[in-house]
Amino acid sequence: MKPTRQFFVLAVCVPLLSACGSDDGERLPGSLDRHARAVELVVAEDGRPVPWVLAVEQVLHRDNGEEPVTLDPHLAEGTPSAHILRDLFEGLTSESPTGRVIPGAAIRWNISRDGKTYTFYLRREARWSNGDPVTAEDFVYGLRRSASPSTASNFAQVLLPIANAAEVLAGKVPTDQLGVTAINDHILQIQLKGPTPYFLRLLNHSSTYPVHRPSLVKYGSAFSRPGNLVSNGAYILKDWVLRSRIELVKNENYWDAENVIIKQVFYYPFEDQSAASKQFRAGELHWTYGVPNNQFKWLQRHYPDELVISPWAGSYFFGYNVTREPFIENQDLRLALALALDRDLLTEKVTQFGEQPSYALVPPGIGEFVSPQPEWADWTQAERNDEARRLYAEAGYSEDKPLRFEIRYDTGQNNNKKMALAAASLWKQVLGVQATLVNEEGKVFLRNREQMVLTQVFRSGWTSDYADPFGFLELFRTGHGRNYYGYSNALYDSLLDEIASERIPARRRRLMFEAERILLGGLPFIPVYTYVTKRLVSPRLKGWESNIMDHHYSKNMFLLKSVHEGEASAAAVERDEERPAEPEESVTEEVLPTATEEGQANEAPGEHAAATAAPAAEDGQASEDPGEAANSEEVPKSEPEDDGATAPAEAVPAEVEALPAEIVESPQVQSEAPGETGEVPEENDAAGGDSGSGEGFRE
Amino acid sequence: MTQDSGMLKHTLRRLLGLLPTLLMLITVTFFMMRMAPGGPFDSEKLLPAEIEANLNAKYHLDEPLLRQYFRYMGQIAVLDFGPSFQYKDWSVNELIAQSYPVSLTVGGLAMLLAFVLGTTLGIAAALRQNTRVDYSLMGIAMLGISVPNFVIAPILILLLAVYAGWLPAGGWDWGIASMVLPVVTLALPVTAYIARLTRGSMIEVLHSNFIRTARAKGLPESVVIRRHALKPAILPVISFMGPATAGLISGSVVIERIFSLPGLGSYFVTGALNRDYTLVMGVVIFYGVLIILLNFLVDLIYAWLNPKIRYDEKY
Amino acid sequence: MALLELKDLNVAFEIPDGEVHAVTKLSFSIDAGDALAIVGESGSGKTQTMMAVMNLLAENGSASGKALFKGEDLMQMNAADLNKRRGKEIAMIFQDPMTSLNPYLRIEQQMIEVVMHHQGLTRAEARAHAIEMLRAVRIPDPERRIRQYPHEYSGGMRQRVMVAMGLLCEPDLLIADEPTTALDVTVQAQISQLMTELRAKSNTAIILITHDLGVVAGLCDRVLVMYAGEAVECGTVEQIFYQPKHPYTKGLLKSVPRLDQPDDSGLEAIPGNPPNLLLLPEGCRFRERCPSAHDACRDTPPMQLDGQGHAWRCFLGPTDE
Ligand SMILES: Nc1ncnc2c1ncn2[C@@H]1O[C@H](COP(=O)(O)OP(=O)(O)O)[C@@H](O)[C@H]1O
Ligand code: SF4
Ligand SMILES: [Mg+2]
Repeated sequence: MKPTRQFFVLAVCVPLLSACGSDDGERLPGSLDRHARAVELVVAEDGRPVPWVLAVEQVLHRDNGEEPVTLDPHLAEGTPSAHILRDLFEGLTSESPTGRVIPGAAIRWNISRDGKTYTFYLRREARWSNGDPVTAEDFVYGLRRSASPSTASNFAQVLLPIANAAEVLAGKVPTDQLGVTAINDHILQIQLKGPTPYFLRLLNHSSTYPVHRPSLVKYGSAFSRPGNLVSNGAYILKDWVLRSRIELVKNENYWDAENVIIKQVFYYPFEDQSAASKQFRAGELHWTYGVPNNQFKWLQRHYPDELVISPWAGSYFFGYNVTREPFIENQDLRLALALALDRDLLTEKVTQFGEQPSYALVPPGIGEFVSPQPEWADWTQAERNDEARRLYAEAGYSEDKPLRFEIRYDTGQNNNKKMALAAASLWKQVLGVQATLVNEEGKVFLRNREQMVLTQVFRSGWTSDYADPFGFLELFRTGHGRNYYGYSNALYDSLLDEIASERIPARRRRLMFEAERILLGGLPFIPVYTYVTKRLVSPRLKGWESNIMDHHYSKNMFLLKSVHEGEASAAAVERDEERPAEPEESVTEEVLPTATEEGQANEAPGEHAAATAAPAAEDGQASEDPGEAANSEEVPKSEPEDDGATAPAEAVPAEVEALPAEIVESPQVQSEAPGETGEVPEENDAAGGDSGSGEGFRE
Repeated sequence: MTQDSGMLKHTLRRLLGLLPTLLMLITVTFFMMRMAPGGPFDSEKLLPAEIEANLNAKYHLDEPLLRQYFRYMGQIAVLDFGPSFQYKDWSVNELIAQSYPVSLTVGGLAMLLAFVLGTTLGIAAALRQNTRVDYSLMGIAMLGISVPNFVIAPILILLLAVYAGWLPAGGWDWGIASMVLPVVTLALPVTAYIARLTRGSMIEVLHSNFIRTARAKGLPESVVIRRHALKPAILPVISFMGPATAGLISGSVVIERIFSLPGLGSYFVTGALNRDYTLVMGVVIFYGVLIILLNFLVDLIYAWLNPKIRYDEKY
Repeated sequence: MALLELKDLNVAFEIPDGEVHAVTKLSFSIDAGDALAIVGESGSGKTQTMMAVMNLLAENGSASGKALFKGEDLMQMNAADLNKRRGKEIAMIFQDPMTSLNPYLRIEQQMIEVVMHHQGLTRAEARAHAIEMLRAVRIPDPERRIRQYPHEYSGGMRQRVMVAMGLLCEPDLLIADEPTTALDVTVQAQISQLMTELRAKSNTAIILITHDLGVVAGLCDRVLVMYAGEAVECGTVEQIFYQPKHPYTKGLLKSVPRLDQPDDSGLEAIPGNPPNLLLLPEGCRFRERCPSAHDACRDTPPMQLDGQGHAWRCFLGPTDE
């Protein structure tokens, strides 16, 4: 490291602490070179990095957000568990670094003509971490356990498309009635209730993972503890020090072990994102779960190579309770509020991380789907404000008789409070609305929102468990458990039914487009923006790609050597010293309310320039998404597709591009996109037509 | 009346007197937790009715509240705090057992540091009352009291971890290096408070008649301070240590978060937010017992140092 | 050579309102083995005079003048030299027995530390000596009692402990500041009896501070009367009691309860209050309250001497009434 500089700092700051020693040995295990610069990546013909660019120590340190609630795949919920479980287990299907569905434990599969029977052919070479073969029976056992009422999984809804799953869950029929059958050791058949076009996507969710029966029998509920857990993924659970770290080591019995480069993965829980980012900056982490809010500009200036921002399959919006005054039966008023929100301002000032203003429900980048856009999406904010004022007046409100309502929100990690404040002040400024902010503790908020008695306007949003727009649209179905809006539209509901059983992708997309168009006409919510993932990643860490689901498998990653590995580098020291002081976290905290109150119209042009610079990096990543996403709907390729009616009776095996070499893609090899989109040209046409018909639908 | 039997009786009586307090604490917490809106399984995501029913059955949440209460009291009578709702792989006993050593270590070391440093600085200031040394020490102490932990911590992290690269920015490995920053940060406000407290009481003691007597005996000032003034000057600090523990516990919630320590503190917060009834109950009981016992210990030490109340059974 | 001789002692205290002149130009002396009483109303500066001598003034206090002890000026002495005398050659018993002992230390510790420090005795020797001393002041069962804490002693016993402590090193001078105030009458008598005996036994000079002339008669040879920080009259017990010259002394004597008067009815307190020590009046400080005040008293009265050791500060002559 940099002994001279260190001693200087010590001597000046804290000579009295020097007794405690500062050897690397006393830092966190496997401490990294701080701010190390990576050597240039060189890939061999197979797309893999050549050995001499790889760091000697392939130990990955990942910030994993909160402490995972469990490592029992069937009880797991929340992202932290999911990240680790993806390393430990392998479902029937898996994902490429960009998020395409690729073969996992199953090397190929058949889908019956009616789309209700899936036959999976398991890899014969697949082994559990203790060497036992992975069999179809393990999957049957796992799925039954996952659905069993006594397991009490709270993510078992993922299994609901499987025949009899609901009945099993409700305890009405025994678990062996679940529509899962082991034909032999290596063939697994799953019966579905109805065709579920996104079913393959569900099969890399942890609640569908197999479990190793003998160890479950032996250890019972303690089977997921270190030392007990037998898993079939690329890694084994070595150690779990509660709320300190979870240590995984490479599973030498994994079928693709020879291509797994990272030998050891440490997952650290962080309740505080700024703590994680400090540890990242101190060189103790390669990967953070997120970054502190409000530090965008600072991070972008000082950690441009490390800060990674990319679109994420989630939307942030405000919900209306359309069963309560003043919004009941009052579409124009709902629209007026929607119009008056300056989304550019909100994303620039409140969210700050290049989130995209949104005018619809489904975030962009989910498969081929393109959301309809309301006419006013193209208007200037001034035009929107004028229209909003007109509608507001028409609805009978004025300066003397302002609209009054409450905005309810919870304060979590997000910018909920600032968002509500900003919305309220924009509404006040543009329309003279008197909105009251009601801040509620998390669970209180969830309850109130669900009960729909107190709510008027409330914070809402959605991220999907699987990359399909249906998960978003479903929320507004009459009687849906998460329909907090009280929205009910018979036409919309029947469209949803059609979508659920429609197997032809283009047609299904058209139906979804139409459904969302109806929803945007009814406007039981106010679209605000779509989410991004934001994190710091060491420039030495490669092998991963941004993807819309934010799933990242350690087995795909590898660490490059740092330029000065083994010797002190003058360059690195210099760079190190440039590191500026921490930005005050509260500095931007109050910027927005003031800005909106004083009128954002005269925003300094410089500010805009800075903000538009933000997504620039992200654009690069986003642009490759459509190409990648073309492959995310794997289903149609193995199916009769558009000409399904005349398709031969026999299903086509889904032996897609399941080559192991492609699973670990090198980020340098990016020019694969054109060829892949070319495989589904007719879908691109369909999408184009869709967006054409979406123009100006509002009247 | 021997001294020992007096002390023993006093001790036992006080210990018994603590039981109803503890029982109250448990009962109130139990019902308060249940009264809070929302349940452990409410989340942003949809939970089908069947699944919720399964979950409620598994954790006995489908039973009448009173039955749950007595079930729980029965459990904790045998020191079983039940399974955590949130951390499904662990029982509350395991969660607490794994994390309390961290909290106690950080808290205990912080307490020790605060006591030693605080009294030393306080005495130093008192002996140089109204000099520049006194003013600057007390100025720093005032700063230490009024600047909260969550401001000091990031500054220390930046200086010593991020720039100097010399102490870890967070995390816990039972090494001294990983303890320094959390302990120092946690101890700072308490140190400052103790310093002020000690200064005040030392000055007061130095004005008392018995110190004048000691001086009139011709004893050197150092002996006067050490032998005659120290103990009475420190007594208020001793009785402050009880409430200070409670303060340290709430401080540790912040510190553990900032330094990513696997201690008990954040179970308070996450447990409450997640309505992890059993975890919150477990932590409350653990801390409750700890605070009660520490206060008790403080009383004992106080009594031991103060002959006037040594046999006084009023307490 | 006098044992202790004060020359023009001034004591003043800084307070936010100004300077409190507690003692003004006070001079007196006491010979070895003598007993001097200092009397005066509360606030007349008796205690602070002795505090100045012992260098125990409060932080806001300052003293000037000379306090020659065996010819050496205590006021100019450094702490170490002073400590060689305090407790060893000069002992002081304080006004309030209830608070003057350290409540956190056993009587034993508080007593033995004096002799261990000054005479280099071992703990055991010091302890034996202390027990002997306690017995001398008639503490019953001193072997057990010495292990106790002050709060286990009554007020009278604490004062006896203070006396015992003061005499441990057989000092040349014992200053007793109102040793009997705050004690009940029988205990008062015991304490003064005790001091009389001790004085007879050892050759200790005593300065007894009191505002109670009754105690003075049995114990002392000479009396110094103080008023508002000044010595107003000084003489032998007989001179002061039977031929008081200063109107203030006369007033004091009238206010003393007499055994030959059945109740308190004849007791006359001196009317009025002593002057404000912040703003001392010109001329005689007693003028405002003096029944004999006349125009001349606007000037500062001189100290008059009768040639037989009797002195008073007043314009009235030796025969004036
Ligand atoms: N620390 C102090 N600050 C100000 N005034 C003081 C202080 N100590 C004593 N005095 C004043 O000095 C005067 C003389 O006090 P003292 O000698 O104690 O009287 P007494 O004759 O009753 O012993 C009193 O008026 C008292 O208020
Ligand atoms: S000088 Fe005057 S006023 Fe003072 S005591 Fe003598 S007669 Fe009284
Ligand atoms: Mg006095």
